[in-house]
Amino acid sequence: MRFLLTIIMSVMLAVMSLSATTAQEADAFRQVLSDNYKLIQRSSTKTVSPVLEAIQNTNFQGAAEFLDKWQEKELWFRKSDNAFVYVETDDKKTYRLLDVVDGTGLGEVPKKEIKQIKPNSGVRGLLAARLVQFQLTDPDVEVRRKSLESINRDPKLEHLEALRIAIEKETDAGLLAEFARIERILTIKFDEDPAARIEALNSFSGALSIDVRASLNLLLTTKLAVAKTLPEDINIARVIVPDQTGVNPDGSAFRLHGLLDMGGDQTELTRDAAYDMLVKANLAPATIDPAARKEILIANIEDGKIGKLNVSELDSDEARDSAYSDLVLLGKAEAFLTEDEQDQLISEHIFYASYVETNQEVTDVAREVLNDINASVTLNQFFDLALDGISLASIYFLAAIGLAITFGVMRVINMAHGEFIMMGAYSGYVVQQIVPNYTISIIIGIPVAFMVTFAAGVLMERLVIRHLYNRPLETLLATFGISIALQQLAKNIFGTQARPLTAPDWLDGAWVINDVVSISWIRIAIFVLGILFFCMILFVLNKTRLGLETRAVTQNPRMAASMGIDPDKINMLTFGLGCGIAGIAGVAIGLFAKVTSELGNDYIVQSFMTVVVGGVGNIWGTLAGATMIGFLQKIIEYFNPSNTLAAQTYMIIFIIIFIQFRPRGLIALKGRAAEA
Amino acid sequence: MQDAVLTKFLLRHPSVLVFLGMLAVFTIGVTVLSEGFGIGVVSTSLVKTLGKTLCLALAAIAMDLVWGYCGILSLGHFAFFGLGGYMIGMWLMYARTELIVLKANAAAALPLTPQELSDAIGVQIFGVVGGSEFPAIWAFSDSFILQLLLVVLVPGILALVFGWLAFRSRVTGVYLSILTQAMTLALALYLFQNDSGLRGNNGLSGLQNLPGLEETSQADVSLWFFWGSAFALGVCYVIAKLIVESKLGNVIRAIRDDESRVRFLGYNVEGYKLFVFVITAIMAAIAGAIYYPQAGIINPAELAPIASIYLAVWVAIGGRGCLYGAVIGAIFVSLLSSFFTGGQIPNISLGFYTIQWVDWWLVLLGLSFVLATLYAPKGLGGLVDKFKKA
Repeated sequence: MRFLLTIIMSVMLAVMSLSATTAQEADAFRQVLSDNYKLIQRSSTKTVSPVLEAIQNTNFQGAAEFLDKWQEKELWFRKSDNAFVYVETDDKKTYRLLDVVDGTGLGEVPKKEIKQIKPNSGVRGLLAARLVQFQLTDPDVEVRRKSLESINRDPKLEHLEALRIAIEKETDAGLLAEFARIERILTIKFDEDPAARIEALNSFSGALSIDVRASLNLLLTTKLAVAKTLPEDINIARVIVPDQTGVNPDGSAFRLHGLLDMGGDQTELTRDAAYDMLVKANLAPATIDPAARKEILIANIEDGKIGKLNVSELDSDEARDSAYSDLVLLGKAEAFLTEDEQDQLISEHIFYASYVETNQEVTDVAREVLNDINASVTLNQFFDLALDGISLASIYFLAAIGLAITFGVMRVINMAHGEFIMMGAYSGYVVQQIVPNYTISIIIGIPVAFMVTFAAGVLMERLVIRHLYNRPLETLLATFGISIALQQLAKNIFGTQARPLTAPDWLDGAWVINDVVSISWIRIAIFVLGILFFCMILFVLNKTRLGLETRAVTQNPRMAASMGIDPDKINMLTFGLGCGIAGIAGVAIGLFAKVTSELGNDYIVQSFMTVVVGGVGNIWGTLAGATMIGFLQKIIEYFNPSNTLAAQTYMIIFIIIFIQFRPRGLIALKGRAAEA
Repeated sequence: MQDAVLTKFLLRHPSVLVFLGMLAVFTIGVTVLSEGFGIGVVSTSLVKTLGKTLCLALAAIAMDLVWGYCGILSLGHFAFFGLGGYMIGMWLMYARTELIVLKANAAAALPLTPQELSDAIGVQIFGVVGGSEFPAIWAFSDSFILQLLLVVLVPGILALVFGWLAFRSRVTGVYLSILTQAMTLALALYLFQNDSGLRGNNGLSGLQNLPGLEETSQADVSLWFFWGSAFALGVCYVIAKLIVESKLGNVIRAIRDDESRVRFLGYNVEGYKLFVFVITAIMAAIAGAIYYPQAGIINPAELAPIASIYLAVWVAIGGRGCLYGAVIGAIFVSLLSSFFTGGQIPNISLGFYTIQWVDWWLVLLGLSFVLATLYAPKGLGGLVDKFKKA
């Protein structure tokens, strides 16, 4: 009890001392205002700065609001005593006055007794900068962070000064680093001292963040120009030869190598564009394009003839050329330069790109740093690509692993495998409709999906597959029949629109390693799930009784039967296991793909490819196949990022060719097992 | 001399004559009942449906030859079918657009230069995919004869290359099926791209309008195509029968039953398989080239792997290893399918639920397909045989 009292007492004391300091600051603030009322009322950029300094030095809480209102033209003063007030009004005739220090009401007055303060734009700029400073030194860390972010989004010259002042007062270690970083970005952009800029530039060597790269790219902005001779007084980035040079990411030029080109490199300036530049710079006469020429020809038709030629003869470019030159000779059309004359003109001029930034030393350093950054970006992109590849591989692996059992181990062609994946995904969806908590519903959904698809798989094995062992083509067709029936059934039950299978919150977002490399948590979860399954199946097949019996039955059912194994039961259970795993994969796939009745279709061919490429009858092979296909597809996409369809096409063609050389897959079974 | 061989062949296999006779009676019957040349009982759209069905039957014969007789379950023959359609579609589209452009420019002041003409046609055709340049694969599209050759050559060469690669490395059985399915998928995905040069997922359209025959009514055109379909089916049936009844046919069937044994007997198994694969691919392509002008539109979805599997379904239901079985299967299933999905069967109300056949037809088809595989491995044709014996 006494303890509690002590706490309350001390809190009260603290509040009192706080209000005491506030009262002191408020008095100081009031003093500054009354001392400088003239400068505030008729502010100018020349005189206002000391006032702002004085206001800030009072450390008064409401000073920021005061500056904000001043800037927004919401600050008024009473004519009678020059006291500054905020106002409220309902009818624009009478105004309620509020004290600028503590906000107490000072009564209502008619409009003629007060006057609005309207600072000019220069003063408003200074006010804005000072406000930034207020925010940057705000006691609340979050306010400081937010204001820093907004500066970074739209940096201005006046921020630099405010930032440098605020950096001295910053106490939070984490924020200080960010302060320093943005201060350097602004230094690069606005500082007038080249040495400071170069120092800031050098400090960014190898940095990956997007804002740094953007500021460097902005610094290295170039503009194209043309002249008779290369000017001396500008910061030249590169000299351009039309049709023959390309541009490097850092702004320097490189020569295209005709035949050795891989086709990816393009010239920066085509010949036609170069001539257009000449025309724009008034260094060459305009060309006449075919459409304009046609207009002129049509305008000069007389009695079905142009010059000597009949109109009906003008059905080729050559004929039109000669008709046009006839017109030129007759003085009815303007002559234009021939291609050779144009080329001559182009070769007489020099084309170049110059940096907007005039200091060459700065651009040189910037280019060096940018090259450095680009190198490490490329390295990180490869790392990112590898992560993407792993994640795609684990998706393929997950989709194919059920098939690795039914097709790989049992040699049953189950074309309805994709529909089991779909069934699993829909089971997860139904569970989610009943159990609203996403985390719990996923935890329940996985075993439910397994049970549903396991049961369906066992049923299918009993009713259909059992009768078709050793007739693989018939199995293929029968399971395909089941596949279309199941697909349509799902469509009838759940409709054609996609159903959401929502991931729990903790799987949202991505693991961001740096500005280039990131991977979403769902993909990591799928990777983990894939590894888990892999280990589990390896364990079941190699270390358990069921696995032993499965292998025995698939290798030689009769011999297995004579050893007391019931092949029917084993086949049923193994097939059910494969289907059940497909069901769990369905839940995982449903988390990032749309759950529709065609979900399985998207994976069936890839899954078979995975198993075949990896090597049938071997879980390790499936892993190898999925890894190869996943990585390869990502690599193809890397070279042609806009076109995933093309990537898939090339992928399949590659697989077809691959099977030529390794018909039994990456990891082929040897010996007697291979003959089965 | 050749006539004598043919006569002897026909006498030895009266079923061919029966088939041709039935086909002729059917063709004449439809013609008499049609709107174009007859009393108008059979509508033009039905004539088109029947013509298309005959083309599907022709594709089914090809499928039966390669699967039922040679044991290669190809899941890619509908891709060849589609390719044939694309090849003829390119010419149809080019020629018709050319006529339209020429007509639009007839009143222009200056005649078009070849470049302007090609640009104008390009804009018309490729405007939907944001292009106007003619891709290289359209190089021959202005010539009917060359494009007709391509109908045979493109699928033929594709089948030759793919088959050579696959058979050479002894890919057999289900592996081959999956590989052909992958080929089909790759082709469909390729065609789905806008920069494939074949208008991406828009496909080729307006193929039912023959260039230069705008004045002729569709009733007449549909009949011409119907006759063409029937003729092609008849000719290919005879060719297929000639192949399967010859010594070559015996080897092919032997390969189906035991490939290794035939190889050990000294036959070049790969050569025989390649021959069957290519010739059936060409048959399928010809069927497609007659089918798509009747359908009017072709797009990459037509080539999707599922279509090839349906082809296998028809043959399986009709009866493998039996040419008329394939024809029966294709006609029976595709007509039944358009019957069910066309809303001609009244929905059944169960009180608490109404069975709508549009929704349930595929379920029914899938299940009946399972039943056919399980209990009637010889299909409907097999039932005919049983009936004959009894």
